[in-house]
Amino acid sequence: MHLECSQLSFTYPGSDNAVIENLSFSMEKPGFKALFGPSGVGKTSLAKMIASMVPVNDGQILCQGIETVLYSYNLERLPGWSSCGNHLDKVTPEGKEMLQEQLVDIFELNEVTGSRFSQLSMGQQNRANLIRYLLQDFDLLILDESLANVDEKLREKIILSIKEIFPDKMFLYISHNLMEVSKFCSQILVFGKPGGQKQNFLIHGQDYTQGYELDKESLDHCMLEIMNAF
Amino acid sequence: MLFRRIYQFMIVYVIGVIFLWMIKLSLGLSDYVIPGISLLKDTAEEFGTGYFMDVVNTLSVTVLGQFLSIIMAFTVGIAGRKSSWIGSFIKVTAYNIQAYPIVALAPIIFILLGDGFLSRLLIASMICYFPLLLSVLGIMATPVTDIEHFYIVTGRMRWQLEVKIRAFENLSKLTTVIAGSATLAMAGTIVGEFISANAGIGYSIRIALYQSDMAKILIALFMIGIIISIYQGILESMGEHIKHRWSIVNKGDEL
Amino acid sequence: MKKFMGFILWVLVTLILIVPVSAQASDQVGTDLVYRLKWKFNTSVAGDIYADSNGYFKQKGLKVEVKAGGVGINAIRELELGRAQFGVASADQVIQALEKGADIIVIAQLFQANPLQWIYRSDQPRIKTLQDLKGKRIGVTFGGNDDAIMKTILAKGQLTKTDVKIISVQGNALPFFKKDADLWPVYRNSQGVSYQDKLAREGEGVRFFNPQDFGVSFVANSVITTGKLYKKQPGLVNSFLSALLRAWEDAMTPEHENAVLNAVKQLDGGINDDIRKKQLAATKTLIKPDPDIKIGQIDMGGWEMTESILIKEGLIKKPVKIADRLIQIK
Repeated sequence: MHLECSQLSFTYPGSDNAVIENLSFSMEKPGFKALFGPSGVGKTSLAKMIASMVPVNDGQILCQGIETVLYSYNLERLPGWSSCGNHLDKVTPEGKEMLQEQLVDIFELNEVTGSRFSQLSMGQQNRANLIRYLLQDFDLLILDESLANVDEKLREKIILSIKEIFPDKMFLYISHNLMEVSKFCSQILVFGKPGGQKQNFLIHGQDYTQGYELDKESLDHCMLEIMNAF
Repeated sequence: MLFRRIYQFMIVYVIGVIFLWMIKLSLGLSDYVIPGISLLKDTAEEFGTGYFMDVVNTLSVTVLGQFLSIIMAFTVGIAGRKSSWIGSFIKVTAYNIQAYPIVALAPIIFILLGDGFLSRLLIASMICYFPLLLSVLGIMATPVTDIEHFYIVTGRMRWQLEVKIRAFENLSKLTTVIAGSATLAMAGTIVGEFISANAGIGYSIRIALYQSDMAKILIALFMIGIIISIYQGILESMGEHIKHRWSIVNKGDEL
Repeated sequence: MKKFMGFILWVLVTLILIVPVSAQASDQVGTDLVYRLKWKFNTSVAGDIYADSNGYFKQKGLKVEVKAGGVGINAIRELELGRAQFGVASADQVIQALEKGADIIVIAQLFQANPLQWIYRSDQPRIKTLQDLKGKRIGVTFGGNDDAIMKTILAKGQLTKTDVKIISVQGNALPFFKKDADLWPVYRNSQGVSYQDKLAREGEGVRFFNPQDFGVSFVANSVITTGKLYKKQPGLVNSFLSALLRAWEDAMTPEHENAVLNAVKQLDGGINDDIRKKQLAATKTLIKPDPDIKIGQIDMGGWEMTESILIKEGLIKKPVKIADRLIQIK
């Protein structure tokens, strides 16, 4: 499994300033990868280019062993005419009912499956939305702040569980949480400050899995490295 | 709400008639130009019931016409929501037909449908449907990205689902437009009757106009006002009911 | 409630302030006179147009603006509101207005024969007696003059509703052209001429059923003014009428024909010259059916019959003593 971008540039139609300029990086193997950086540096644009939702202006994106890319984001909603449980049932492919149950359990949504989407808290809404994607067939799932508004403890539980349940899938995690990306991602693409000298660094994270033991020194080092890359 | 609508109409009507009587008095006009109290009373006694039945007749066509126009607006709105060639063709055709004055289209309608009930119905729906169409087109052509994204990227999106999502997200807007279009449907039916029919209050107004009978026209206006107030009041109450149910859903009580 | 009463009071006060202003405006009668026609400018009002275009009013020292009529425009109302001093109205309008207390008088009857007649195809048997109407499909504008006239005709011919088939007229003559109707009401000198011409081009001939030929006289357009104006300024009324009738007399003579047609064309260019010429000829037969008849002559018998028809049809409830309102100015 291999995702490679070379000399990638992107400018919004009608704009003179490129959001992404000459970006080259390579990510290998399944697992959690991260796009990290301040707002407006082109994380979402890059994600959408990878998911073929926006055309690539310049450069190339190469995917090996990745056929289906799904892009999820944190403002998505489920239709309001029936309960979240019903909607989940409807979009669960045959044979994945057990997985659905398992995910609802891990995501701590058992009590709200009978409620409408608008009745859920924002964190619950984001979790319900993410479950839908995890139930689909994909090779690479992009999570654009898809776990926003979920408390830290539960977020950790969810990420570790996903890593365990989907060991052969790649996840591209967009987050502003420095500690989180450092702990759980194997590769972190750090975007430079917008408007400045646009340099991007690929940094190796701790890539913790279920039952990990915290190595404070390595984690601090990783976080420092990311901070220095800004 | 129903009662309030009726008495609000009564106030407007009475103010209007008083205004006319003030002109009559100050200019010394005859009953031919502006009917006096006794003539208005006599006309109301003689023609009031008949006109009431005429308005009820018109209302029955109005209700049907409005129903038809809702179906037409949704059909065209759904078919024309895409920015494809067919979509824009349907939109342009729908807009053009509406741009023609209905009196110019009326002869074609008569040739096709004769001068009876169907012509009334079609003219009523045509006058009523355009504002509906604009709203439906606006709603149907605007994606609800936050909901639709998942279904599109997972290949689950069907046109029925797209329409359902967009209609549901704009339910409140749709019910308001539908209730509001009742007045247009009534006006449309009356225009249709005026130019083509042989029944209904529009037809009676045409006869009264031939006879230059202002008293009859004032009585007809009163009856139209009362009935349309009731009809609109009912529609508004229904709209409120639907919105109320929707808000229950939002608050999460039941359903 | 207080707020509400305040609102009502505010509306009424506003109205009270507006009314005297509008009343004042409509009371203003300047030196200019307005002559309001019943219908739009066409060959039917050739004399009226000619009076204006050829300076007949000016010769009498009058400044008259001739205004076209149309749907929703009613000369009697204009007279009452002070927006016109002279006008053209049909007899039924005059009688109905008199019943409702309008102060109007008739000073000339323009049409000696009512132009409202029924057209029918000449491949059908000629209607010689009213009994010949039996079984015919007849177009009628419900509530219109033709409705009252046809009812009178049927009663006179001792025919009932079941003897004929009445077809509602809806603003166009499609049923007649599609042969769904046998007789169709037309204005003899305008639509009558156009329809005749249209059918002639398709090889069909037409005839006209004129109620007057069967003893039913229903007076058509006449010149009216207010009783008040006639009382206050009889000289002005006389001058206006003599100028108008002089123009009509001239307009109906062959010497003035081209000038009249040109004047009409200026205001009504929508039809071709040939039809306009035929319409003028048809108008002549209605305005001056006989060289001895003076234009404007009031047919007392016709007016009385019109009044009785209106009473019989329930269009007025009581007689209006029409003869008292007909002033034949010499």
